[in-house]
Amino acid sequence: MRRVLEAYVGEYASGKSENAINRGLRLVRAGRRVRLVDLDLVEPAYTLRPLKRKLEAQGLQVLAWETKELIGPGEAAIPLKKEIVSALAFPGDVIIDVGYGVEGRRLLNLIEGGFAQANGEEALRLIMVVNTTRPVTSSLPLILAYLDEFGAVDGLINNTHLGEETTVELIQEGAVLVTAAARRVGCPVLATTALRPYARQLGSVDRMGNPVWPIERFMSGAFW
Amino acid sequence: MGIKIVSRQLSGEYEKVLRREQRSFMTGNEVVAWAALAAGADLMYGYPITPQNEIMHYWARLTPHFGRGFLQTEDEMSAGFAMPGGALVGKKTFSATAGPGNILMQEPIAMAEMMRIPGVWIIQQRGGPSTATVIYSQQELRLTATGGNGEGLRIVYSTASHQELFEYTIKAFNSAWRYRFPTFVLGDGYQAKMREAVTLFRPENRGWELVPAEPILCLPGVPARDRDPVHLRNTFNLEEELYTRLMDQLAVYERIAPEVTEWEAEVPPEPEVLLVAHGIVARAARQAKESLNRQGWKVGYFRPVTVRPFPGQALRQIAAASPNLRLLVVESAYGQLLAMVKAELYGLTNPVDSLLKPGVGITAEEIAAAVDQTEEGEAVS
Repeated sequence: MRRVLEAYVGEYASGKSENAINRGLRLVRAGRRVRLVDLDLVEPAYTLRPLKRKLEAQGLQVLAWETKELIGPGEAAIPLKKEIVSALAFPGDVIIDVGYGVEGRRLLNLIEGGFAQANGEEALRLIMVVNTTRPVTSSLPLILAYLDEFGAVDGLINNTHLGEETTVELIQEGAVLVTAAARRVGCPVLATTALRPYARQLGSVDRMGNPVWPIERFMSGAFW
Repeated sequence: MGIKIVSRQLSGEYEKVLRREQRSFMTGNEVVAWAALAAGADLMYGYPITPQNEIMHYWARLTPHFGRGFLQTEDEMSAGFAMPGGALVGKKTFSATAGPGNILMQEPIAMAEMMRIPGVWIIQQRGGPSTATVIYSQQELRLTATGGNGEGLRIVYSTASHQELFEYTIKAFNSAWRYRFPTFVLGDGYQAKMREAVTLFRPENRGWELVPAEPILCLPGVPARDRDPVHLRNTFNLEEELYTRLMDQLAVYERIAPEVTEWEAEVPPEPEVLLVAHGIVARAARQAKESLNRQGWKVGYFRPVTVRPFPGQALRQIAAASPNLRLLVVESAYGQLLAMVKAELYGLTNPVDSLLKPGVGITAEEIAAAVDQTEEGEAVS
């Protein structure tokens, strides 16, 4: 069976962690073995750690620090968990949550095989999450500029929302922008992701024909 | 990928973000960077500390497209002392810090107080004392309001939402340059990092006047012949010199205080309990008030928006009007707001209770439960 190896990247607060968690759980529910990796070294341990046990109870293997294991000078430096270096050496799917925008991409060189070029079926795919209500990715030129700065990605996800003020129309407008950007750079839009009530209203595909993946919120249980 | 978007095009795109006034999903730190841009800030001097870092990051990312400046100094003292330099030649300058950084900046801030040099500081409070946590607290209230070796001649706005972070940051620049007292936006780690919808705008498009930054030094003309010399001092030889100068400044501060002071108050007829909170905790207090009101409790709410100058008179009037009104002071610190409230109520007999949780968040449910449990208050004396 072909392994799913994906790293979720993108602008700060675009929904990377939420999408990585939901992707991991979707694969678990499809009967696959899945490892979720916290590679946020800038706000280390604040994203997935508080959710670790809850996610593990749902069948995900989570590579992130435990509260009782944590030592060190707080935000100034937290050591990389040694298992994360060899995160891809796992006989199942690996989903990596890469923190903090453009800088986050550089962290992938800490993962053995993280920058391997298409190596048969075993290349890590970079999935960029885009929310078009984030000011720095709020128009086509701005998304293209962001992609240009970031470098090549293997697919985009439209995760447009406005928190409690989200509307279906807003998500559809996001889909139009993200699809236009994907066409310009020649990569696919993997999906539009939306919380279940919106996903139900959107149907199985968005206005641009991209699949709609319903997601659940987990990050409200994290510190930030 | 071969797509090159030059920065000139991006400044137009960023400008549209401000002009089209759409709802945006943002973190509080980002909001502050955009607010400083909208307020016409020229320069940020900063040194990294969580949880304010993204103010620097976003400012440094946006400013090349707008011709503004950023300098990361070697520490907070340096950032604080660089700010007056910018202000003296007519630039709007600001910085952002937290916790131990806030302590280090108090020396340059005190100098700015003494010399009446404007500047804006954004404080995103973290847990204390010392480096404690990077996460959240309201433990920097006293330090921000009255830190430094003086009387606290400064203006401090305590915000409770992203929209307020945007609007009070712009207002802080206006107050700083209008009154020439150091001006603060007192946020916290939750506001810094949490995400919510906000409308960014160009203040000019809403009819907001932006107070210009004029040079303070190197003015035209010959000193003493064409104009008074500019002689800014933070050191005096004689006690009397300091006393005379300081009493003048205190008089100015007291004169402007009534027009600077801001608060929110919602008091039902015949109130039984008054919730008193500032910043993000006030948001929870307001939710608690609304839920308690629905259950039939006569609960009111008082929120100082400026914590310096403190809206003491407004609070005192509410308390004095209902001698049996019980106050419940709620804060993520151990009695800093409580002490300010008690000082303002001196001589009144209203009972004062408190819910004090230093360094951790407080929910509306906890506040409502505290009101429910409140039986015996502690009289102010």
